Amino acid sequence: MEAMEKNTILIADDAEINREMLKFIFDEQYSIIEARDGEEAISCIMENSDKICLTFLDLLMPKKSGLDVLRFMNEADYIDFIPVIMITGEATDETDEKAYEYGASDIIYKPFAPNVVMRRAKNIMELFEHRIYLEQKLEKRTRQLRESREKLERSNEFLINALSSVVEFRSLESGEHIQRIKYFTRLLLKHIMEMYPGYGITEEQAALIVNASALHDIGKIAIPDSILLKPGRLSEDEFAEMKKHTMYGCELLEKFKQDDNEFYHYCYDICRYHHERHDGNGYPDNLKGDEIPIWAQVVAIVDVYDALVSKRVYKDPFAAEEAARMIIDGECGEFSPEVLDCFVNAKQELFTMTEDEFSFADVMVR
Amino acid sequence: MTVQEFYDEVGGDYNEIMSRLRTEDRIRKFAGMFTRDESYLSLVRCINEGDADEAFRAAHTMKGMCQNMAFTRLYKSSHEITEVLRGKDLETAKQMLEVVTEDYNIVIAGIEKLLAQ
Repeated sequence: MEAMEKNTILIADDAEINREMLKFIFDEQYSIIEARDGEEAISCIMENSDKICLTFLDLLMPKKSGLDVLRFMNEADYIDFIPVIMITGEATDETDEKAYEYGASDIIYKPFAPNVVMRRAKNIMELFEHRIYLEQKLEKRTRQLRESREKLERSNEFLINALSSVVEFRSLESGEHIQRIKYFTRLLLKHIMEMYPGYGITEEQAALIVNASALHDIGKIAIPDSILLKPGRLSEDEFAEMKKHTMYGCELLEKFKQDDNEFYHYCYDICRYHHERHDGNGYPDNLKGDEIPIWAQVVAIVDVYDALVSKRVYKDPFAAEEAARMIIDGECGEFSPEVLDCFVNAKQELFTMTEDEFSFADVMVR
Repeated sequence: MTVQEFYDEVGGDYNEIMSRLRTEDRIRKFAGMFTRDESYLSLVRCINEGDADEAFRAAHTMKGMCQNMAFTRLYKSSHEITEVLRGKDLETAKQMLEVVTEDYNIVIAGIEKLLAQ
């Protein structure tokens, strides 16, 4: 066992005889510190907590009783690593129950047989040592697991960012659109989780959704340059082709389908449904209302907002307030009342982000 | 006076104490400590001053020591007075104090003889 130098036993009892009675049992193998009352016991514990491997507490002591000391050890968390054996003259159910409730390991009744006390004390000390050892080991393993999980998450995020910026790179954008979509999605999800806990979105799910949002336009990789890079408004046919990026995205993802993976489903839903609208006037499936998964609804509104405040070859950027107004007034299609609600609430933060958080290399807002 | 004789004289249990403390030297040492303990004096004082709580604590401590020392007779009387004081009945305790004192004096006198040799 590592760094086990705890070899001190604290004996707290107001009668010298009673202290000596325990002391002679242990003083060959352990260092002994003695306390004559409850207050002394508490200061001994505070000063020697790193050395004490066992504490004997008499129930009835001046100034503070054994139970008071035990309660203190409990409140100050000493009880987690210093085992306590209560010593008492008589068994009363009430005090016994209290003692165990406050974390005493054992209760020994006077008069006690030295070899029995020795055996019980050693069992308890071994148990504690072992438990503390296991806890340390577990803590170490947990830390390692957490570290490797964080590493994995970082690698995942890196890959997703790299993958999603391929499309942007091709359409000669700066790559910041993806970063903004992720930030805005995160912000809106925060409001959804606060205002509409009914959707049951957890922190963990929100993190997955944010990552998935980066891939919303991945299907644009299959749109020909002549359309994707066209310096001007699209014709009706071109626009029809452009709309297919939602389906292309799904096709791409389906090649690596992971049915039991939540993340896959977020990616799929967001790719496919981020142009659907609440009233069924979106594309590609004309889903309505609740048929559109909430994560796709969130990315949809965020995507529209970002498109409005960004400069395009065919349009100047709108000011943040104007963009928000257009969305709220339904000029960019209808969103669900809940999502609009959250959007309105998130508006100010959204504006601040739009102005401060990003260098809009491709955009000039205001 | 042997330790065995001492225990017979004060109404204690020699076998019990030997099983606990193992050596007569150690018993003598502990007996010496018993004479230095002030619980009895505190008990008398607190009963006279009418402090039932402190009297209870003193009686309780005394009782515990007697248990440890296997002073059976003094243990019994101190146990009884402890219970009476737990109920804060100072009047009854006052009457019982006589018996306790008698038993206590026997023990103290015995220890003095034991340690005199």
